[in-house]
Amino acid sequence: MIKVSELRKEYKVHERSPGLLAAAKSVFHREYKSVLAVGGVSFEIAAGERVGFLGPNGAGKTTTLKMLAGLLHPTRGEARVDGHEPRRREDAFLKKIMLILGQKQQLFWDLPPSETFEYNRAIYDVPRKQYDETMSELTTLLDLGELVKKPTRQLSLGERMKCELAAALVHRPKVLFLDEPTIGLDVSMQAIIRAFIKQYNERWGATLLLTSHYMDDVAALCPRVIVIDKGKLTYDGKLDALSARIRPAKRVVFRFSRAVDRADVEPIGKIVSFDLAQAVLDVPRDALNEAVERALRTLPVTDLTVENPPLEEIMSELFARGEAVP
Amino acid sequence: MRRYAYLLYIQLKASTLLAMQYRGDFVVDLLIELVWAATAVVPLFVVFAGRSSIAGWTYPEALVVTGWFTLLQGLLEGAINPSLVNVVEQVRKGTLDFVLLKPADAQFLVSTTRFQPSKAINAITATLIFVYAFRRIGHGPTAGGLAASLLLMVTASILLYGLWILTVSAVFYVVRVDNLTFLFTAIFDAARWPSSVFRGVAKIVFTFVIPLALMTTYPAEAMLGRLHPSSLALSLGGALFFAVFSRAVWVRAIGKYTSASS
Repeated sequence: MIKVSELRKEYKVHERSPGLLAAAKSVFHREYKSVLAVGGVSFEIAAGERVGFLGPNGAGKTTTLKMLAGLLHPTRGEARVDGHEPRRREDAFLKKIMLILGQKQQLFWDLPPSETFEYNRAIYDVPRKQYDETMSELTTLLDLGELVKKPTRQLSLGERMKCELAAALVHRPKVLFLDEPTIGLDVSMQAIIRAFIKQYNERWGATLLLTSHYMDDVAALCPRVIVIDKGKLTYDGKLDALSARIRPAKRVVFRFSRAVDRADVEPIGKIVSFDLAQAVLDVPRDALNEAVERALRTLPVTDLTVENPPLEEIMSELFARGEAVP
Repeated sequence: MRRYAYLLYIQLKASTLLAMQYRGDFVVDLLIELVWAATAVVPLFVVFAGRSSIAGWTYPEALVVTGWFTLLQGLLEGAINPSLVNVVEQVRKGTLDFVLLKPADAQFLVSTTRFQPSKAINAITATLIFVYAFRRIGHGPTAGGLAASLLLMVTASILLYGLWILTVSAVFYVVRVDNLTFLFTAIFDAARWPSSVFRGVAKIVFTFVIPLALMTTYPAEAMLGRLHPSSLALSLGGALFFAVFSRAVWVRAIGKYTSASS
């Protein structure tokens, strides 16, 4: 569905030193510097897949999404989305895709969202019957109800995001590019948006490429992740496999019935935190059985949980390394 | 084509809904428009006090030019300005992304985002000015003259719109063009005078660079039955040139759009 090979984007920016004199000079003579946003990225995404697109700020995620959506022209390399070359911006291509930008909005600010829906219906040439069906489904799934009749500026951020999603899906796009769709939302609204995105993918078989700084989004939605850093691809594969490779340890939390000695806990695993009645340890995956057995035998354990280290930690470790993961 | 007509209808409806959402504002807007329209005539009063003609134009004849100016000003401020001022904002904020994602012509979409329906009052004011002017002249315009002037109104609208598109296209290169748009409005104000008032460089600039003469003086002359056929041809040619040229510049400019980062 999506095929990207050696995609590259350089920006020309003009550079000047701070200060008034430098500013005055730059009016007459400008020095341009080429900044590499995306430096030769290749990947393929099959129809119906949900893929998380991760990377630190300025890694080139948004630039890549915008190239895939046809907003930016690649400097080099090729992108294909369902057989189309995005940069040509053919109507047939634009009718299949949508880019949702969590930080920007397309709804008419002073009018109810229903006006934007109708406007998009006309632009995308959606037959009335299909439009009515889509809208009634979206209204149920997103619990829009009376929201669509209130002027957009009177809606809360979360309500607005729901309506943004609905406006973006009027034409039932087959490919969705989502750039931070949950940014700034509270936890429960994030969960609602996430669940909806997943439902949309399952209901219509749409292909999803999503960026987010909230790892919960990625963990809940994307079995596969593509990680880029400084414009280079550093990982492409299963999310679980990434965790296992970056942090070959499991995180084990023990609760004790009485205070224990730190010295007694140390042999079991690497201590992450310790406060007499509770210990959090990192234990290598292959040594897990042995470690748990030993703890149960030697310590007054009342409760224990085993989990993967939080995705946030894994990501920051990956970004800090700044190199490709085999 | 039908789709575009429908899109235009939706946007016109939306702007009208918006204008009427606040009843108080709507009434005040209309009153302000009336006062503005009245002030359009005031400079003529001042200039013609104590003399009967200026640069070959009598007072009622000059009023016909003012009528055309009022009409075109209404068109500019009601149908062209609001949308295109908006483009400047969209480019700066990067929300033009959404326009470019739509499977429809971007120039059409950005040109129809907003209208100011209260400016329609200018059409009424212009009609009143025409009626008054021709009563003072003593006879009405000929049918041919009227037809020619209506044709010229179409070419004038195309010229005005083309000029605006050129101004707005600059936004893709320099981003902040608010000042340029103010300059444009200020220059347009000169169109309230018959073009023969201007001499030397101003005359050349206002005929060929920013063709104000083509916009208001020619339609007025057509109405008064004294337009030279060559002027009509010039207008048609000029409108065609501006339409094609501005479209070419727009297409080139939109290619320069780099979008604002996230």
